[in-house]
Amino acid sequence: MSHWSESTQERAREIIDLYPQKRSAVMPLLYLAMAEEGHLTETGMEEVARWCEITPAQVLSVASFYTMYKRERTGKYLISCCTSISCMLLGGDEVMHAVEDESGVPHGETDEEGLLSVEHAECIGACGGAPAVQVNYELIEGVTPDKARDLVTWLKKARPVVVNTDEMQELFGGRRSFDWAIPETDGAIGPFPAFQPLGTVESEGGE
Amino acid sequence: MTSGQPEFVTITIDGREHQVLSGEMLITAAEDSGTYIPRFCWHPRMTPVGMCRVCIVEVDTGRGPALIPACMNPVSDGMVVATQSDVTKKAQEAVLEFLLANHPLDCPVCDKGGECPLQDQALSHGPGESRFVEIKRNYEKPIPISDLVLLDRERCILCDRCTRFSREISGDPLIEFFDRGNKTQVNTFPDHPFASYFSGNTVQLCPVGALTAGPYRFRARPWDLLKVVSSSLFDTAHPRIEVHASQNEIVRYTGVDNDATNHGWLSDKARFGFEYIHSEDRLGAPLVRRKGVYEATDWAEAIDVAADRLGLIRDESGGDALAVIGGAHGTNEDAYALSKFARVALGTNNVDCRLGDSLSSHFLAGTVDRATIGQLDDADTILVWGPDLKEEHPTLYLRVRRAAQELGAELVVVHPRATGLDDVAFRKLTYRPGEGFDLVQALDDGRYPDVIEALDADNVVALIGIASHADGPHVAEAVAALVRARRGRSDLLPLNSRANTYGALDMGLAPDLLPGRVGVSQEGVGRLRDHWGEVPSVPGRDTAGILEGLISGEIRGLLLVGADPVRDFPIPALAEEALEAAEWVVAIDLFITDSTRHAEVILPAETFTEKEGTVTNVEGRVQKLNNIRPGPGQTRPDWAMLDDLAHRIGAPLGLSSAEAISKEISTVAPAYVGVSWDLLEWEARDGVVVPLEGESQLAHIPVAVATDGKRENGLSLHVARTMYDDGVRLRHSPSLSRLALGPVVLVNPLDATALDAVPGDSLRLVTVSGEGRFEMVVDEGTPAGTVYVPFNQPGATALGIDSAVEAEVADA
Amino acid sequence: MSTPLVVTKRMTEYPSDSHTIARYEATGGYEQAKRALGMTRDELVGEVKTSELLGRGGAAFPAGVKWGFLAPERPAYLVVNADESEPGTFKDRQLLERDPHQMIEGMIITAIANEAHLAFIYIRGEYPKPARRTQRAIEEAYQNGYLGRGIFGSDYDLDIVVHLGAGAYICGEETALINSLEGERGEPRLKPPYFPAAKGLYMKPTIVNNVETMSNIPHILEMGGEAYRDLVIALDTGTYMISLSGHVKRPGNYELPHTLSWRELIYDIGGGIRDDKELKAWIPGGASAPWFVPDEHLDLIVAKEACALAGSMLGSGAVVVMDEDTCMVRAAERIVRFFSHESCGQCTPCREGTTWMEMILRRIDEGAGRPVDLDLLIDVSDGISVGLQWPPKMTTICPLGPSAVSPIIALRDYFRDEVQRHVDLGGCPFELKSGETRARAPSSLAGAGPEVRGGSTGSIPSDRESAGEGSS
Repeated sequence: MSHWSESTQERAREIIDLYPQKRSAVMPLLYLAMAEEGHLTETGMEEVARWCEITPAQVLSVASFYTMYKRERTGKYLISCCTSISCMLLGGDEVMHAVEDESGVPHGETDEEGLLSVEHAECIGACGGAPAVQVNYELIEGVTPDKARDLVTWLKKARPVVVNTDEMQELFGGRRSFDWAIPETDGAIGPFPAFQPLGTVESEGGE
Repeated sequence: MTSGQPEFVTITIDGREHQVLSGEMLITAAEDSGTYIPRFCWHPRMTPVGMCRVCIVEVDTGRGPALIPACMNPVSDGMVVATQSDVTKKAQEAVLEFLLANHPLDCPVCDKGGECPLQDQALSHGPGESRFVEIKRNYEKPIPISDLVLLDRERCILCDRCTRFSREISGDPLIEFFDRGNKTQVNTFPDHPFASYFSGNTVQLCPVGALTAGPYRFRARPWDLLKVVSSSLFDTAHPRIEVHASQNEIVRYTGVDNDATNHGWLSDKARFGFEYIHSEDRLGAPLVRRKGVYEATDWAEAIDVAADRLGLIRDESGGDALAVIGGAHGTNEDAYALSKFARVALGTNNVDCRLGDSLSSHFLAGTVDRATIGQLDDADTILVWGPDLKEEHPTLYLRVRRAAQELGAELVVVHPRATGLDDVAFRKLTYRPGEGFDLVQALDDGRYPDVIEALDADNVVALIGIASHADGPHVAEAVAALVRARRGRSDLLPLNSRANTYGALDMGLAPDLLPGRVGVSQEGVGRLRDHWGEVPSVPGRDTAGILEGLISGEIRGLLLVGADPVRDFPIPALAEEALEAAEWVVAIDLFITDSTRHAEVILPAETFTEKEGTVTNVEGRVQKLNNIRPGPGQTRPDWAMLDDLAHRIGAPLGLSSAEAISKEISTVAPAYVGVSWDLLEWEARDGVVVPLEGESQLAHIPVAVATDGKRENGLSLHVARTMYDDGVRLRHSPSLSRLALGPVVLVNPLDATALDAVPGDSLRLVTVSGEGRFEMVVDEGTPAGTVYVPFNQPGATALGIDSAVEAEVADA
Repeated sequence: MSTPLVVTKRMTEYPSDSHTIARYEATGGYEQAKRALGMTRDELVGEVKTSELLGRGGAAFPAGVKWGFLAPERPAYLVVNADESEPGTFKDRQLLERDPHQMIEGMIITAIANEAHLAFIYIRGEYPKPARRTQRAIEEAYQNGYLGRGIFGSDYDLDIVVHLGAGAYICGEETALINSLEGERGEPRLKPPYFPAAKGLYMKPTIVNNVETMSNIPHILEMGGEAYRDLVIALDTGTYMISLSGHVKRPGNYELPHTLSWRELIYDIGGGIRDDKELKAWIPGGASAPWFVPDEHLDLIVAKEACALAGSMLGSGAVVVMDEDTCMVRAAERIVRFFSHESCGQCTPCREGTTWMEMILRRIDEGAGRPVDLDLLIDVSDGISVGLQWPPKMTTICPLGPSAVSPIIALRDYFRDEVQRHVDLGGCPFELKSGETRARAPSSLAGAGPEVRGGSTGSIPSDRESAGEGSS
């Protein structure tokens, strides 16, 4: 009865096995559902409900509590601009404005093509490198409004399959919160966190 | 507290010392001591959540004053509580101002206005002004969240009462909080409505007007309502209700909190089942058939016509040629009158309030180790072997769910398919309809050691009934014998359908019973002689026997009292044929039904809101019903019509009022000695469980019946009742009648595949008793090999009681 | 004075590979975990108690005492809180990315001490890279037999599961985190009765500790509780990671002793204010903490007790520095917006109050302030945190709502005139001075997320129609 691919179902079983109670798997399974369809649909939530043996209403109750479960069509690239206190002090609002202006996509919305979604975010833990922006939760620190415009242009043009934090930091970033040491090649392939157990990371050779 | 002795502690509230029960929550301890602490989210029947924050008070437990929610903090010795301090007042006023900030204040058009805790507590504990000048939250409103309940999210104060109820009381969490923070709202999942049998409770629970009930919306102002306490006859536990009327019209029932039965909860059937009372189809005058057409007439003529023929038959063929079916939907007083009428006026024991789908009369009425509902709370093990309680016994369902979920009882559920309690059961057994005996045998043989171990607990309560029409009454007796043979103490609760069956049996509405749990015998009859004179001492026929007698002509005349065997008897074709064959049928009813249309005379009856009397619930609890309005037209109480009929027949019953009958019952019926209206109206408002003293006269001890399990090849048919069906009262209650399932058959996906059928296909089902077409619903809750047909659905053909069934996809 | 580095030592000395198991073991890693297997619960808890290690998540509760509270019922669980989301805080991110094994070893020791065989790390969803690093480190530990069945060849089993959050600051509150792990909404539970050490995950005894706390554990075992406690002579024990951000020249994470003054922290460590402007105010311990100002607080010591005496806290160790050109109304709005956005919505005062405060602040910032608004703001705050003091007299289950009033206390005490100028001028004086209207990020109520489409059956009776039928 599942709408999910066999590999996704296999992963769902593995994830459920990690927890003493099925319901605990709701959050990772919601990410799986997003990875499956690009955003969280009613079908996706019903599927999660079946896996966790709770009602769809209970799933939606959880899903709608957290900001990272996107229940509307979301772009291939989700640009989150931090405008919390530390970023705001150093121009986060201006960066946000530049992203909205350059992309033509206001907060909380997605362009027609389904390429870009834009949102403002509360603190993303990059205060030492403020202002900071994330693309599919991959971080860029020390962003200026001009660099933010360049980032939007680049995403539209280059359309990277994998969004890589080191690459973007190199191209569009400035001061960082702390030294990152050796670069990673892993990155995100959709508007959800790139994390191996959720099947959302694309590895190109590893570290 | 191990000793069972209550311990008291001393707390100080606003400078006064009080002795309160140790461990009690501060909010109730304060209330019992005369100090009201405001509350919204707190509810005595649900887990405290401490969310609304209006009950916060300044409390010092020795570490300096702190603000704590009174609903979540138990009292402790030496606690000093300040409900009037500046800090407490500031906090409580702030909460009320915050709650009102986004509240629409549309009280003039709100159903809750006038009985609204938010209004009341804004007055008593609020700041008296609002300084909120920003734009309020805005939502589309109202939105229907179920067929019966509408939601206005702007009024909602997010107290978690409705959501908590669905989660922890009714067990169908279909309404939830969505989003978070200031955007938090209550709602349902898209296209998954709050399809709960208990949804109406959320309307009563709601401390504002956010949840309103379709059948009541905008129909009355609370201060105009007339109210009486009564009991619902849509539930065998007889949950206590308040009947609310506006301008002589019943506009709603509300649940009354009592420890004995329903804790204040009601099923939606019990809550909204009042529209039939005002149905335009209700009979308001006696009808006599003339030249094939019913004509309204006056009582004198109707009584003459009805009684003369009954008298004639009795004189020509004797009492055995007459019979009575029904009486399970009325009061005990009416049932007593009917019982006396049958024996004294008609001279027959052919009388039955059951319709061929019940346990044996002696098992129902004579189980001496009968459990009370309250015993469920202390049970170590609860066995439910019988109907799906959620469908047929909603109050028991809630109580068993609570015992299993909250109170630690081990629940064993046995039923041919999924039931509403499976999720809280520690063991669920299914069996194919008709093979109940095999399962009893298997248990006895030790095939399910965990179940047997559970049944060997110290304190076992077994709820036993007929799970499937194919089971018949004897599987239940075998189950009872099995339970009783185990090690510990076991108490049984035999289940009956139709609300006052138990009361009717206690009044003798069975072929082998006399009032007060006395068997029909020389001795039993002898005891009655002083009151009833000479009556037949040989048991008569039950409903099936009566119907057969009508067909064979041995029975010529029939009195139907609030019974609809053509719809309700498991083999309707037999009932139809019998009524067709009957020479003379008289009916007492609210409506013309498929059965009463066979009557020559129909006498218009009253509903329970129109008469006084008592009823006896499934555990034997007698409670008082109260009238709130006169019946329409020329309707009369049953006892009065029966008394008139008896008079005309020439065997007066001497009945003068319902209360007088009640006194006669307490004299005549041994189990009812001491039960008076006075007692029920004053000292025992939640009722008394009979017998008050002494032993039942029947003392029925079920013994294991030899198994005669038969194996069916192919599919087995499971027929059982659902909450909403085509019953007469429901059919005339528009808000509920549309909730019936209709002609459907539920089939396991494997069987659907084997039948080459897809959902929505029409299946033709054939049994020895009938055949019909049913829309197929694929259902994983029905085991492979079993097909489930809900009984008495509008538009459905009845299939009888045999479990053998043939199924095939019907031609389009 | 030189600072003894503890948790940041390895990443400082070996910046290129401090996160690998090879480097970790080459620098003495996992030796303490092995040793812990031979110790009793009492010995382990005793050592941590002696160290007087304070929890590093913000509440600064002694970790050893917390462990001591663990109820006897089993199973017990260990949950590590890596939901670092307090504005200004980014130290756990560094610990996870740069030295995950240090935390994992801390977890192994803590699990042994608390007889837990299943542990979770709850990492905020916006931290995919730290989560990846942690997951890889866990896999390495499994491969080496340090996790799984019979760790280090003993008969002790231990599994660690990484659980990703999904965007909710409140899940950093330990009981909310537990709810979230159970697959519920991340709503805090009321304490009492729901103290995790008694009724935690799945209502079982649970230890919840922060990443930095865990990272300190191996060092406490290595050097001994007493030595750790006396690492630096100061008011608080051990070292403390400070996340420095805002208008300083050298923002970043610094592991420090508790002997510095704020002046030293901001001017020596942080290099002073950018463009050599004047310091106007700073947040001493994350967005929840009441603000400090130079005139009163610059020479206080950066330590728990000293902050508490001055009416604030060191909290998560996040210091946000604001210069003379910072609009205090805007800064306050941003802090309040954060709490309004992150409020779980359970408690009325927090749900309704924080949004109301945000609305008022935005109005003042945008030039629509009324003379009564500051007092109204203060009184609304008073309704969430009665008396406006720190620690707060809370009207709520958790401290999130009362945290939102911290900037209002600053406005009341130090910046009343600045608010008044906004009202008088009908706009922000800083904007009017520069002549530029600055970009404004959306409010907490703007956009984002579809409205839940609910109610799906039947037709909607209009109020008017139905009301007409009913009235007579």
